[in-house]
Amino acid sequence: METRHKILVLDDDSSWLELCSDFLTQLPSKPDILTATSGMSALSLLDAQPFRVLLCDLKMPQMDGLEVLSIVRRRFPELRTVALTGFSDEEFRSRAYALGVDLFWQKFDMHQNPQLFLDCLESLLIRDGGGLSNIHRKNLLDVIQMESALRNSSVLRITSGWKVAHIWIKDGQLVDAQVEGADGEAAFWRIMKWKDSAFESLPPEPGHIQTITKSLDALLLESLQTVKKADNPTPRQEAEETALITRLTAMAYEGADFVVTVPAKKEDAAKGWGIRDVDQLAAWARQAGKAARRLGRKLDAGPWTHAAGHNLERHLLLLPGKDRTFVAGWPPEADPCCLFEQSKKLADTWAS
Amino acid sequence: MGILNWLSKSGPDFQKLPAGSFTVDRHGSVLTTTVGSEFSRRRLGDIGREVLSLFHAARAAQMPLTGLDLNFAGLHIAAREMQGGAIIFLSPQNPLAASPPAEKERP
Repeated sequence: METRHKILVLDDDSSWLELCSDFLTQLPSKPDILTATSGMSALSLLDAQPFRVLLCDLKMPQMDGLEVLSIVRRRFPELRTVALTGFSDEEFRSRAYALGVDLFWQKFDMHQNPQLFLDCLESLLIRDGGGLSNIHRKNLLDVIQMESALRNSSVLRITSGWKVAHIWIKDGQLVDAQVEGADGEAAFWRIMKWKDSAFESLPPEPGHIQTITKSLDALLLESLQTVKKADNPTPRQEAEETALITRLTAMAYEGADFVVTVPAKKEDAAKGWGIRDVDQLAAWARQAGKAARRLGRKLDAGPWTHAAGHNLERHLLLLPGKDRTFVAGWPPEADPCCLFEQSKKLADTWAS
Repeated sequence: MGILNWLSKSGPDFQKLPAGSFTVDRHGSVLTTTVGSEFSRRRLGDIGREVLSLFHAARAAQMPLTGLDLNFAGLHIAAREMQGGAIIFLSPQNPLAASPPAEKERP
C-alpha cells in the first residue's frame, strides 16, 4: 500500500493555518496535512509520528520559529523544513538558512506565485533521501568545481553531524554560502574545513542575493591558505551551542513557554529563552525576590523556597538560586500542581 | 503555685506563625481579618503592602497578575488581587509535607 507523506504546518495564526491547509491539498502527491499553533505542540506531533516536511512560521509569540527549527535540526535531521514569514527580513532569511532550512518563503510570495511554491514543496516531498539527487559520497570540492565547469545553477545543502550549511551556485558562479554564525566567504571557508560532510543538490534559487563576488578559484586558493583556527567554532562555542539545544529541548519537553535567568546584581544582564523582552520581567523578579526575603525575615517563616504568579495568559514560577533567580513561564492550561517540580527540572537543566 | 509559675516560664519563647486570611484595600490598610489577635494588624499591613507592591510592579511591567503565591519553608502566603486591593491567605506549613501544598490550593 502506498504511504502518503505528512506535512506539518506550524503557525500561531489559526485562520492562516486553515487557508494554508486548503492550499496544500493541491499538492500532486496528496500528503496528509496536520497543523500546530505552537512550537511545543509541533514538537510533540513530530515526536509522535513521522513527518516529511515541516512548514514553520518564523514569528511566533512564545517559542519562535527559529527556536523550533534549531531543535528540529538536531532531533529530526531527516525532516525537510520550510521557513515561512510575513516579513521581508534578510536577517531572518540568513538565520533560517544557517539553521539548515530547505526553503525560505515569504507568505506574500506564496500568494503571488502559488504554483512555484507548490512545485518546490512537491519536490521536497517526493525527493528520496537515498536517490540520485543525493550525492553523499562525492567530494564537495569536486561537486562545486563540476557545477562551476558546467555553468550549472543549484543550491548545495551540506550537513556535517548536526551542522547544516548551504552554498548557492548560479551559472557556475558561487554567489553565497551560509552556515550558522557566518555567511558569504567566511561561511564558505568554514564549510571547506568540515570533515565527513554529506551534501545534496537542491533546486536553484535564481533570485538569491549575491554576497560572494570572488571567483571560485580565488576562493578555493584563499580557503587553502587561510587556516584560521578562529573560523572553526572553539570547543567552548560548540559546548555552548549544545547547551542551548539541550535547554530548548528541555523547555519544549516540559511545555514551558519561556525561561529567564535573573542575576542577583542589577548590573548583570538577565538572559531569556523563548521571550524577547526580558528586562521588565527581570526587574519584577528582582523586586519579588527582595520582597519575599524581607517578609521571610520579618515573619521568621524560614527561607524563601519559591514564588508563583498567574493571570489568564500565563503562570510564572520563580525559583531563587545562589546567585540568580530562575523564572519559568508556563501556558495558562498548565497544571499548577506540577509547575514547581517541572520548573525545578528546568532549573537543573540550566544549571548543568 | 510556685511550681506552676516555674513551669510556665521554663519553655523558650516561640513565635507562632500567623494562620488565617485578611483583606487589604488598595492603600494596604487591613479591612477584615481572621488571623488571631496575637499577630498585630501592623504586621498584617506589612505583608499586605509587600504583596500589593508586587501586584503594582507586575502591572507596571505589562504582566498584570491576578494571583501571587510566596512560599517559605514554614509559611505559605497566597494573595489574590481584588480591585486594587487583595485577599491574603496565610498557611503555616508542615515541614514534613512532601510537596508544596501551596500549589495544590490554587483553583
